Amino acid sequence: MSDNRTLVPLSASSTNRNTIEYAVRTALADGPATLRLVYVHPPEVHADDSREQAATDLLKRASVWANEDGEQFDAELTIETAQLGTDEYLFSPSDIADTIARDAIQTGANRVLFDPSYDPGIGAPLLRPLEYELARFDAFTVEEAPAGRSARRTPFLARTSLPQIGAIFVISFVFYQILAADPTYWFEIVTGVVSAAIVAIGLSQVTFTRNPTWQTPARLVRHTIYIPYLLKEIIKSNILIAAVILHPKLPIDPRMTRIRPAVWGSLPMTALSNSITLTPGTLAVRIDGRTLTVHTLVPAAREGLFAGDLERAIRFVFYGREAAEITSPEQRGEAELIDSTDEPSSWEQDDGAPTDAAEEERTDTEPPTMNETDEGDDT
Amino acid sequence: MSTTISQALQPAFATGEFITQVFLVSAALFMLLAIAMFYRAVKGPTTQDRVLAVNVLGTNTVVVLALLGAGLGEPSLLDIALVYALLNFLMAVAISKFTVERGGVL
Amino acid sequence: MIETIRTVAIVGFILVGLFFTLVSATGVIRLPDVYSRAHTASQADTLGAGFALAGVALALGFSTTSFKTVLLLFFIFITNPTAAHAIARAADEEGIKPWTTDDDRTDADLYEEAMADE
Repeated sequence: MSDNRTLVPLSASSTNRNTIEYAVRTALADGPATLRLVYVHPPEVHADDSREQAATDLLKRASVWANEDGEQFDAELTIETAQLGTDEYLFSPSDIADTIARDAIQTGANRVLFDPSYDPGIGAPLLRPLEYELARFDAFTVEEAPAGRSARRTPFLARTSLPQIGAIFVISFVFYQILAADPTYWFEIVTGVVSAAIVAIGLSQVTFTRNPTWQTPARLVRHTIYIPYLLKEIIKSNILIAAVILHPKLPIDPRMTRIRPAVWGSLPMTALSNSITLTPGTLAVRIDGRTLTVHTLVPAAREGLFAGDLERAIRFVFYGREAAEITSPEQRGEAELIDSTDEPSSWEQDDGAPTDAAEEERTDTEPPTMNETDEGDDT
Repeated sequence: MSTTISQALQPAFATGEFITQVFLVSAALFMLLAIAMFYRAVKGPTTQDRVLAVNVLGTNTVVVLALLGAGLGEPSLLDIALVYALLNFLMAVAISKFTVERGGVL
Repeated sequence: MIETIRTVAIVGFILVGLFFTLVSATGVIRLPDVYSRAHTASQADTLGAGFALAGVALALGFSTTSFKTVLLLFFIFITNPTAAHAIARAADEEGIKPWTTDDDRTDADLYEEAMADE
């Protein structure tokens, strides 16, 4: 058991992503660490299962984030999740503080890290009193993650390392030999080695942002499962679009839409937007952070996009099977129709001030703004 | 010139006379579809429409090159097709980038 | 026998490729605005080229040349959507509004509007 254990209480909050990133970075700074993600249930949870399901989803998503961030560090990261307060009524900050403290002491945590907009859902602004209550305990320190809104950015020029250079060398050498007329001729091999060496040394800084690990081949295997699936989707929807285009009346209904897929990192995002563009009827126009502006040609393509099948497949490829089960963007309320690409998205407006109303809207399972509004059209 | 058309049409691969004809005829048809793209390239109206038309034309050219490479038994045409495909992509991205005043495409 | 199947497969691939390229060409000429045209340009065209190249690769059999064809196919599948995205994004950066069904403006009107805003 490692001696560096961090307990992170989570709630539905827009800054969770930053908090996880901060937690992983600080915990792994000195050696292996354990991250315990807990969800403290508000009192009314006993009435229905949907909150419990939401909590499970939240914790699952957070673990995926933490795993992704942890990959960049050499030290090993262990992740635990737990739901607290399912069998008791927690009313006041001190009740919640007691529950968190008990869990922290039981699991031997030496640090409790709060999300800056943590709210366990009993209606009052709770973070200050909570931190105050928790400061009574000596077994652990209490900390609040910095409220940075900007997402983590990987630098364009990363530090290079031997495995990276080696990987690029092998890839470019194989590519050279494929293009070569006769791969067994000594001249091709010598020139191949020279050019591959030049490419490897010159471009190793911009090609990989981290060392290739043993997970990379596993991803490649999952990629090979993904390709036939993508091909099937492409052909299926291409036939649909072909029928629309060759139809004498041209029954199209083009609309701009915007989604925020549950996919993190630049490579998965690139793969997703490329797949979206390859699938007929949908065309990625703009990518800002995690928000994707997509032009859709026919309603059927729009429904497919909002149902998030491709997104799920991408999550399967990059994060494994358990990450594939997150709900569709439509159910998350992260998909909408827009009239102009300049208008701000509904969830970005929420992010500014995470009020109760905004929280309510986000957990709503109703489809997002599907009604046609002409006011936004400034002609 | 010693190479006549009938010699050029000799099947270089063990796929028979018929397949060679198929490749050459389909190359001609792809060429026709590529030429149809000139309509959009000339008419526009936006710069992006023209770039798009030229991009589709380029993709068709790549296919025509590959089909000719197989039909005429000239494997080196495939190398040309590879380079053409990459240049075609660079052309589309570069023009998209530099026609926009604010820049920052890709 | 196996040769006949192969011949049929090659002809089939090339015909399907021709069909989708025809769809793409029709789309680029017929569709109302640059965004819709980018759809067919990137997708139907990619699939058309993909099928035609698959036919070529099949005809060449197992050789370096057919390996190159597969590589070409792979490139087209990566680069074509990216190029279409770059073009659509450039159009968006220029301020060209997408056409919608109830819109009676033509693509030229939308273009002039965008230019007038500059």
